[in-house]
Amino acid sequence: MEGMILLLPLAIALGGVFAALFLRAVANGQFDDLDDPPERILHDD
Amino acid sequence: MSTALSPAWVAAAHRPVDTLHCRHCGAPMEGAPGGEATAAYCCGGCEAAAAIIAGAGLDAYYALRTATAPRPEPQLGAWERLPVTGEGDRCVVRFAVDGTRCASCTWVIEQVLARTPGVAHAHVSYATGRAAVTFDPAQVPVADVARRVVALGYTVRPAEAAARDVDRDLLVRLGVSAFASMNLMLLAASLYAGWADGMDEKYLVLHRWTMFALATPVATWCAEPFVRGAIVGLRHRVLGLDVPVALGVGVLYAQGAWATVTGHEAWFDSLGMLVTLLLGGRLLEARGRRRAQEAAERLSSNLPRTVRRWNGAGLDDVPLDEVRPGDRLPLGAGVEVPVDGTVDEGLGSVRMALVTGESEPVPVGPGAALVAGAVVVDGAFTVRATAVGGETLMERMAAELRLATDREAVVSGPGDRIAPWFTAATLAIAATTFGVLAVTADLGTAAERTVAVLIVACPCALALAQPLAIAAGLGAAARRGLLVRSGASLLDLGQVERVALDKTGTLTTGAPSVVSAADDALRWAAGVERYSVHPVARAIVAEAMARGIPLPAAHDVVEIAGRGIRGVVGGRAVSVSAGHAEGVAVTVDGEPAGCIVVRDALRPDARRAVAALSALGARVDLLTGDRPEVAARIGAEAGISAVDAGVDPLGKAAWVRAREAAGERVLFVGDGLNDGPALVAARVGVAMGSGVATSIVAADAVVPHPSLAPVVAGIRIGRATHAVMRGNFARSLVYNVVAVGAAAAGWVNPLVAAILMPVSSLLVVWGASTVERRVRRIEEDSVWKG
Repeated sequence: MEGMILLLPLAIALGGVFAALFLRAVANGQFDDLDDPPERILHDD
Repeated sequence: MSTALSPAWVAAAHRPVDTLHCRHCGAPMEGAPGGEATAAYCCGGCEAAAAIIAGAGLDAYYALRTATAPRPEPQLGAWERLPVTGEGDRCVVRFAVDGTRCASCTWVIEQVLARTPGVAHAHVSYATGRAAVTFDPAQVPVADVARRVVALGYTVRPAEAAARDVDRDLLVRLGVSAFASMNLMLLAASLYAGWADGMDEKYLVLHRWTMFALATPVATWCAEPFVRGAIVGLRHRVLGLDVPVALGVGVLYAQGAWATVTGHEAWFDSLGMLVTLLLGGRLLEARGRRRAQEAAERLSSNLPRTVRRWNGAGLDDVPLDEVRPGDRLPLGAGVEVPVDGTVDEGLGSVRMALVTGESEPVPVGPGAALVAGAVVVDGAFTVRATAVGGETLMERMAAELRLATDREAVVSGPGDRIAPWFTAATLAIAATTFGVLAVTADLGTAAERTVAVLIVACPCALALAQPLAIAAGLGAAARRGLLVRSGASLLDLGQVERVALDKTGTLTTGAPSVVSAADDALRWAAGVERYSVHPVARAIVAEAMARGIPLPAAHDVVEIAGRGIRGVVGGRAVSVSAGHAEGVAVTVDGEPAGCIVVRDALRPDARRAVAALSALGARVDLLTGDRPEVAARIGAEAGISAVDAGVDPLGKAAWVRAREAAGERVLFVGDGLNDGPALVAARVGVAMGSGVATSIVAADAVVPHPSLAPVVAGIRIGRATHAVMRGNFARSLVYNVVAVGAAAAGWVNPLVAAILMPVSSLLVVWGASTVERRVRRIEEDSVWKG
């Protein structure tokens, strides 16, 4: 049980990293247009 | 026109000689204008577009595309005024592109732009019709960027960058709240497990304080939209659903803080779940609404047009907003009159359908008054401007209508009507619980149970019931070609009892079309009419193309305003003359070759739509400014017995208001600016197509591709949404009654709440997901599938 004192903050910190990545993705506009990218995959340059 | 990509098509694309269709736009043809030897293209515009595509090394486009390209038409526009952001060699211009028919269209536009010197990057979205081009203005002016797209046959309009900030804000809050509440749930689960097995005090403390730390941003920052909504509501003395939600969140957090400090059980997992679900519902609602608004906005054009102006010695191309009263502007066939003014010299006829609703051309000569928005049908004349810009009759009417729309109170849905009762009942029950228990038991129990009541009464499911059903309904409507601007309008659609239809452009196509003609007469006529922009000429050419008749080449074509057109086709003198009651007479070498009957015809789906509306229990009326005999004929063709003819725009609005005053819920469907007052007066106003009514009158809903089927679908979807919403309200109220009763009795602890609350919300989510299925069921049961 002692390990929990270390693991619990560690788990939340890890989750926090993912939450931060998500916030960055939102700020970069990755969620602004969810309809177009599926069409785009069919094009080649 | 051919749309599918057949093997023959591919062969034709690679072997352009001998083809019977234009290689670019797919129009059937016999020879190019002037009879050039290489007859691969039907007109210079298509040839130029193909040259641009070939020049960029993109010939593969013709083999890849699944739909033919639009035919390039000359477009005048002040392209240099497109809004540009950024600076230096990385400026960005954003605009809307209309006319894209398949994904290959966006591909070819992107590639052509990307291979233009000075363009760094081009992105065109097929879904939203928006383009974003990064370019260096020193190498390529912004006007040239737009002209490249126009030369390919697409239409360019300025467009604001989409308003996505609200979405992003909600999405960030949702992300943070989801992260926190998932961790809260894990920690809570381990606490609940600890109840059974026992847990050391230090771990209990660790769990509680960690949960408190996670719950703090959720309750303060993530839940802020609800708290703000509640405060705004209270300030306006409106008890919306935000009030009990904010109350529940506040009580949850306060109880949790107290429990953390004193070592009791907190309800933090319920707090996280509640806020996350509510934010998700709000995001769905905002996305659905934004989509409809963006799509409607795409239909409104606001590019300053360029017009030609006399400068005394010659003609200048100037942006329309530089035209002043007194300026003289030459106008020709097919052009929209840009200003209010009087005819200085010349003769012709104009169609004022936009302003008066009358589709028949009116002859004009020197001294005649013209209004902006009228379209020159034939002839050529010079107009002296008397009013420009916002001073024109059209703009003043539009401004008045906008005012009328703004003055309409904020319409609230049934959810907001339930909210005050719900809030009052919750507070009353909480107060009663506290009062009764304070007397019968001790103060501690009373406080504990009152807190439980306030928490489980938090109307999460109730707050989701309406937005989720509406978001599903808006989506179902958009898939069927109806863009509804707000959830309230969608619900109103479901309660419509009477449908008033405008004639021109609504029940009819609004443009003349060929009603009857022999193939042979059509062939001769189309040969000369292809050089004219007269609406009748366009109708004849369109009919010939629809029948697959190759358009012969003609020369020595002469058009006489108001009389007709003649020319030489295949060595024979062809003349097409007006003067027939409804249509034109065709002669070949002086011999009559038949008549072509042309008139404003009923939409193909009009009769079935009227039948479907009647089947839905709505009374259908025809309201028109046209003559009684025309109105009666169209009414009979469409199957409408209630016909009101000769009604002017204000008369239509008065008619609608009278029915509304009598307690009937009226849906008005119209197109022109003349329908504006009625569109505003009606409970629900639906505008057809991309006309002025759509863009400036702010109709409640828009049918972008004019047809009556989406109107029928809208009523069905409105009804299905109502049914689903009622079911959702019932489910969430049952939950609240059961949960509040249990909480007052002391049976609800944090674990029970953590199961009960999400289950009730999930039931509501499931309910909303049935909207589409319900609409399909109504469609299958009805006489006609929309």
